[in-house]
Amino acid sequence: MTLTEAQVERYSRHILLQDVGGEGQEKILNAKVLVIGAGGLGSPIALYLAAAGVGTIGIIDGDVVDVSNLQRQVIHFTPDVGVPKVESAKNKIQEINPDVNVVTYQDIVHSKNILDVIKDYDFVVDGTDNFAAKFLINDACVIAGKPYSHGGILRFDGQTMTHVPGEACYRCVFKQPPPANAVPTCSQAGVLGAVAGMLGTIQAAEVLKYIIGVGDLLVNRLLIFDAKSMKFRTSNFKKNPNCPVCGENPTVTELVDGEQAVCDLKV
Amino acid sequence: MRFYEVPDTLYAEQDQFDRDIKEYVEGRINPVKFKAIRVAHGVYEQRQEHTYMVRIRCAAGGITPTQLKKVSEVGDVYGSGEVHFTTRQEVQVHDVLVNGVIKVIRGLNDVGLSSRGGGGNTVRNILTSIDSGISSTEVFDVEPYAIALTTRMIDEPDSWNLPRKLKISMSNGPDDTTYTQSTCLGFVATVKDGVKGFQVFCSGGMGAKPMVGHALLDFVPDTHVYHVTKALKVMFDKNGNRRSKYSSRIKFLWKKVGEDEFKRIFHEEYDQIKNDRSLDLVLESIDNSAKSTDLAVQSVDTAEFELWKKRYVTAQKQEGLSSIKIPLELGDVLRADANSLCDFLLNFGENTMRCERDQNIRLRNIPTEYLGNAYNVITGLKKSLVKHAPFIGNMINCTGASTCKLGICLPRGLSSAIRDQLTGTDLDLDIIPDFRLNMSGCPNTCGMHHVANLGFFGKVGRKDGDMYPAYNILAGGKVEKAGEMKYAQRVDEIASHRIPEFVNAFLKVWIEKKKAGTYADYNTFLEEEGNTLIKTLCDSYRDVPTYEADAGFYTDFGAKRRLSMDELGTAECSAGMFDMIEVDKKQIKKARKVLDAGSDEERPDAIQKILFSASRMLLVTRGLDAKTDEQVYDLFGKHFMTAGLIDEKFRPLLALGKAADVSAIFAQEPAVLALTSEVEALYKNMDDSLRFKATDGKVIKEREGYELDSEVEAEPVAKTIQMFEKDYRGVGCPMNFVKTKLVLETMESGDQLKILLDDGEPIKNVPGSVKLEGHAVLLQEQVGPHWEVLIQKK
Repeated sequence: MTLTEAQVERYSRHILLQDVGGEGQEKILNAKVLVIGAGGLGSPIALYLAAAGVGTIGIIDGDVVDVSNLQRQVIHFTPDVGVPKVESAKNKIQEINPDVNVVTYQDIVHSKNILDVIKDYDFVVDGTDNFAAKFLINDACVIAGKPYSHGGILRFDGQTMTHVPGEACYRCVFKQPPPANAVPTCSQAGVLGAVAGMLGTIQAAEVLKYIIGVGDLLVNRLLIFDAKSMKFRTSNFKKNPNCPVCGENPTVTELVDGEQAVCDLKV
Repeated sequence: MRFYEVPDTLYAEQDQFDRDIKEYVEGRINPVKFKAIRVAHGVYEQRQEHTYMVRIRCAAGGITPTQLKKVSEVGDVYGSGEVHFTTRQEVQVHDVLVNGVIKVIRGLNDVGLSSRGGGGNTVRNILTSIDSGISSTEVFDVEPYAIALTTRMIDEPDSWNLPRKLKISMSNGPDDTTYTQSTCLGFVATVKDGVKGFQVFCSGGMGAKPMVGHALLDFVPDTHVYHVTKALKVMFDKNGNRRSKYSSRIKFLWKKVGEDEFKRIFHEEYDQIKNDRSLDLVLESIDNSAKSTDLAVQSVDTAEFELWKKRYVTAQKQEGLSSIKIPLELGDVLRADANSLCDFLLNFGENTMRCERDQNIRLRNIPTEYLGNAYNVITGLKKSLVKHAPFIGNMINCTGASTCKLGICLPRGLSSAIRDQLTGTDLDLDIIPDFRLNMSGCPNTCGMHHVANLGFFGKVGRKDGDMYPAYNILAGGKVEKAGEMKYAQRVDEIASHRIPEFVNAFLKVWIEKKKAGTYADYNTFLEEEGNTLIKTLCDSYRDVPTYEADAGFYTDFGAKRRLSMDELGTAECSAGMFDMIEVDKKQIKKARKVLDAGSDEERPDAIQKILFSASRMLLVTRGLDAKTDEQVYDLFGKHFMTAGLIDEKFRPLLALGKAADVSAIFAQEPAVLALTSEVEALYKNMDDSLRFKATDGKVIKEREGYELDSEVEAEPVAKTIQMFEKDYRGVGCPMNFVKTKLVLETMESGDQLKILLDDGEPIKNVPGSVKLEGHAVLLQEQVGPHWEVLIQKK
């Protein structure tokens, strides 16, 4: 594959980077990334990946745009209220970058469809708003051997980690979902819109680093930040040999749907 | 006062070098790549791993007292504590550990000194006559030209990536004290029809294949120094042999293409720029005067002081000022000595000192009334040879095998041994103050043996298979007049431990003859009787004791262990290597004579010797050193027969050789002689990269599946360099670089890309960005309104 003149121009600021160059850009153009959730996190993730020229972006989300989404879900605009989120997102992506092939799934992820959806992608990004989905994505990616980026936000806080096959997974750190109502949902607690943007762009950067094979991913590390004090820290952790999904004697061998209440506010 | 200006880009390069050192230490850069990086920064690895020498540029030999104090400070803190004065009129700091290297280099920034280009394929330190600017007989002062040229050269990116080093020297008159015919490019000051200018010589060089330089231009006006240099540099860059480092100096280009073609391609470049007056060097004349000082005059009134003045002090053309030579012991200055000397000199200003080519210091601009003070300071130095006749301090020696990876012998030790020998006799050395006794540890010419009156260069001697330190003797170098240079010729060879007696005996005769005025000059003496004398003396010292009888004979002067080739740098061992091959070639020749003329009893022994030498002769070309006689046959079998270089049919001979079965070997006489012819033919067709070629010129490939031992470095594969060309005129920043980068990605390492760029921002930015990505910018040149930039992919 050779870059066209228009592509050289469009991606010149990537090509200039010593770690990217034309070869790195070609890797980006050939990459396939699945974004799960087209909400607060999915919006910046999809926008930056599209602008960067990721060749195929899959988006899965079952919701339609609600007016309360617009405070942080920046891929959707006011006239999109009532439109399926995947449709709205696809339109914006194509306006930003016609190079991108967008594949949409107007559905939620569940134990029956997730393996089938993720199988075509090189990398999966978790932009969901509930623990059940987060554990489901983790388990599916471990079982299918897919790298993925975990992300979560609440109030002023965000956390993210990156999993690659063979290294620690989300369950190595958090063994199982918290009991229902133990963690406040976003409707009770709220979230600062910009925090979604902060975390989503961090996840997008991890995706691009993974694709071009540069730098140190957040593997075996959990990045946590508090936007109120604007303090960031990373905690190192190891792959847990007793992990229920990626440990030596896994107990989670097939996927089940959790019963966690979906956040009313829709992150 | 500074003798050159360091370009601003140097600091960024130092930052990069700092990172490279860290990566090397962490094992992320391999030693070969690191070598290429560090050598261009003037940093050489010594014999001891991870220990380095840093070579510091002193244009025109100039160094100020303030600068020398700083160099000796960093040398003391990070190195051996001594500053070494070299035969290239510059200074070196030795024994710097890897982590100290960048600290030394950054320390030098404070005083405007740089090690950049001290080594590697760059424009090296520019030499000038030691008395330039102060001699009453000079044509004119050449220092301003050398200084301005240095500043210009080190600011040009294409100075850093030449096919091989480029050495320049400038003499202030026809007595040619910088030996312009022994260097790549030499300028001799002259005046023609009232116009100041230069006679230009080029393509000379010493080294293992010495060549006397040729006249390139009979006269150029002094305004054209830069143009000549630039043109030569560009043509060298375009046409030099980059494939073989042993035949890449500009002297080989002259030899290859011949005089007419060489001059034609030179003029192709020169004629393009010679009328561009905007390129003229900006000259600043050097003020040779002394600052006034309230220092109290010390008067000395002794016979020693008068003798010292006669030996070491010269009046300058500037009224009331003197120049003083300080003879150094082996070219070294201790920090305490540097401090006391420099503090004294600062009374008279910064322009008071030069590095002299014979590894000494030459002071200048010392008011004559302060000679007593100078005498007291100089005689107070801990390491100087001021008490001796100038002959002693004038001896030149390279650093040799103590630090240099190429060295075979230790000329520093030899120099001290000769000094001890001569000062213990009543020889009147003041009769021959200018005698040049020069020594190198190997055939490379760091000790300048080619220009010596009596020269030595190290070689390996062998007695019953044991190696002992020895030297070739040369005599008759002639350097006294520009255009008439002659190199010293090899006369004989001698064991290292016999040299002090030899020198003593030889000089005794020459001093007598000179006193008596028997001959017009030294070279006439040599022709009439000196060369014969050398041979006669050598014959009387020819006897070599066995290792058992005198083990000390096998350990060089100043060495801790007996001579061994084990530590020689593998990639750079060509010097010692050919010597070792020579030993076996001679043994074969000698044994063949026995076959032709000797008695029948001697024949079996001769055949055995031939088989042994034929088997051992070429092992060294594969980096192999057999520890035992049996191993010679094993290694030869594996690396030459299994490798497919020598016919398998000879293999049965190896078992006989190993068993040392003389009669069985003798029975195979025809086969032994046939094998020997094959080995000799193989050697005859070996090229400079140590590859063996068939008679049709094709390289004989070693058999597939045959693997070289891991310690043997892979040979460089001669690859065809692909050339690419792109026109980015009219393409703005940063798209011009984006496009350049994309083309480079499609190329193979070593391929070259020529791009055309607009003047202004593009030429200011693109080459720098290319370099930051690790590629080499070989050339950048303005052609009309735009620029041509030649890039080599990393």
